[in-house]
Amino acid sequence: MAMPDQLMFARRLGPTSRLLIWLLVGVSFIVLDTRYHTLDGLRSGFSLLLQPVRELMRAPSDVAAELTGFFTRHRLLQKERDALLAERAQVQVGASVAKALARENAELRRLLQLPARSGQQMVRAALLYQGHNWFAQRITLDQGAGAGLRGGLPVVDAWGLVGQVSRVYPGTSEVTLVSDPHQLTPVFVERTGQRGLAAGSGQNQLELRYMPSQTDIRAGDRLLTSGIDRVYPAGIPVARVTRVSRSQSSPYLRVECLPLAGLNRSHAVLVLIAAPQVIAQ
Amino acid sequence: MNAAPAQTLGSWRRILGSLILAVLLEQLPWTGWALALRPDFVLVGVLFWALHQPARIGFATAFFLGLLADFQDGVVFGQHAIAYVIGVYLVLFLRLRLLQFDPLRQAAQLFPIFLAVQLVVLLAGWLAVNPPAGLAMLLPVLSSTLLWYLVAGFLRLWHGKGLQDRA
Repeated sequence: MAMPDQLMFARRLGPTSRLLIWLLVGVSFIVLDTRYHTLDGLRSGFSLLLQPVRELMRAPSDVAAELTGFFTRHRLLQKERDALLAERAQVQVGASVAKALARENAELRRLLQLPARSGQQMVRAALLYQGHNWFAQRITLDQGAGAGLRGGLPVVDAWGLVGQVSRVYPGTSEVTLVSDPHQLTPVFVERTGQRGLAAGSGQNQLELRYMPSQTDIRAGDRLLTSGIDRVYPAGIPVARVTRVSRSQSSPYLRVECLPLAGLNRSHAVLVLIAAPQVIAQ
Repeated sequence: MNAAPAQTLGSWRRILGSLILAVLLEQLPWTGWALALRPDFVLVGVLFWALHQPARIGFATAFFLGLLADFQDGVVFGQHAIAYVIGVYLVLFLRLRLLQFDPLRQAAQLFPIFLAVQLVVLLAGWLAVNPPAGLAMLLPVLSSTLLWYLVAGFLRLWHGKGLQDRA
C-alpha cells in the first residue's frame, strides 16, 4: 500500500543523485576550509549560537560540585587549611628570595645592557567544552576575544603548559593541547640544558624529537619551555620523560613523555598575555 | 501499519524537539570515558527521522548537523557532514527492509550503518589532514575495470553466453 511519505515513485531526484550532490558540497566545504580558510565566519556563528547553551549545560555539573563541596567534612577543611598555611609560609620565603634575585637580575641586565624581561598579564579561563580527540586535541575555554585573547597565546595551569590558543571567537576560544599531533613545543631538558622539540603524539602523550642517540637523557627528566620561539615564556614545565629507547633503524632516540599539565583534568587555566618582545639590535 | 500514527509520531514539533534535545545532550561537558563512549545523539536522531519521516528529514538536515559536529570536535568542516549524508543514504536504501524489523533486529541492522559513518569520518579526516601526493592512486580503478572487461569478454567467448546458469 502506497503511503504519502514513501519514496516509491519519486517525483524529484532519487536518493543516489541527491547523495552525489551533497557529497560534492561536502568535498567543496573541506577544500574551502583547508585550502582557503574561508569558513571561519561559520565557526564564529556556531560558537555564538552554542556558547550560552554550553554555559547552561555546564550548570548541572557545577551545582553538583557545589553540593558535594558543601557537605565536605569540617575536619577535612581544617586539615587542608593547615596544610595551605604551611605551604604559604614556604612560598613566602621562596617569593622573597625570588624578589631579591629579580632585583639582582634587573641590575645585571642593566649592566649588560640586555632588554628587560617583559612582565606577564594573565586571564583566568575555565574549560567550557571538550570534543572528541580523534583528530585534533582541542578544548574550548569560556573566554574569548572580549577578554583580550588572540591566536597563539600560551595557556598554562598550575602544573605546566596546557597548549596554545588556536582559534578565537567573541566569547569563547579553542586551545590546541600540547599533545596534539600537529603541535610542536621548543623545550630544554632541565637537568642538562639540552634543547629539543617536543611534539604531541596524540593519546595524551608527547615525544621529544631529533635527539641524537648519544644524548644524555633518561626517564624522569623534566622538560621546560626554552622560550626561543618567543611564543612561550622560558621555563614553563611541559612534560616528564617516561621512556627512552634506541631504535635500530633511526639515528635518533625515541623519547616518550607525559605532559605535566592536567590536559583533560584541569578545569581552570590561565592564558598568558604578553606584548611580543622586541629584541633590540 | 497505517498512516495516522505515523503522522502524529512525525509531527514537526516532535522532530525538532528530539533533534534539539540531541544537540543539547552533546553540549554537556563530557570528559574521559564518558566522552569516549558517548553515543552520537545527533546521528541517531537524524537517522531515526530519515527512517520514519524521509520526506521531512533528509540530506540537508544531516549535512547541517554534520557541520555542527565538525565544529564541536574542532575538525575540518565537511568531515562529519559527508559521513552523516552517507548514513542517511544507507538508511534510505535499506528503508523498507528496516521498517519490517522489531527494535532489536533494527538495531543490529543499524550497527553496520553506524560503523560505515564512523569509518567515513575517519577516512575524510585523514584525507583532509594528510592529502595524498597525487591522484595516481586512482589509476588502478581504470586499469582494473579494463581488465574486468577483458576477462569477462574472454570467458564469454570461451564458454558461451549462459555461463552463470551452467555453473
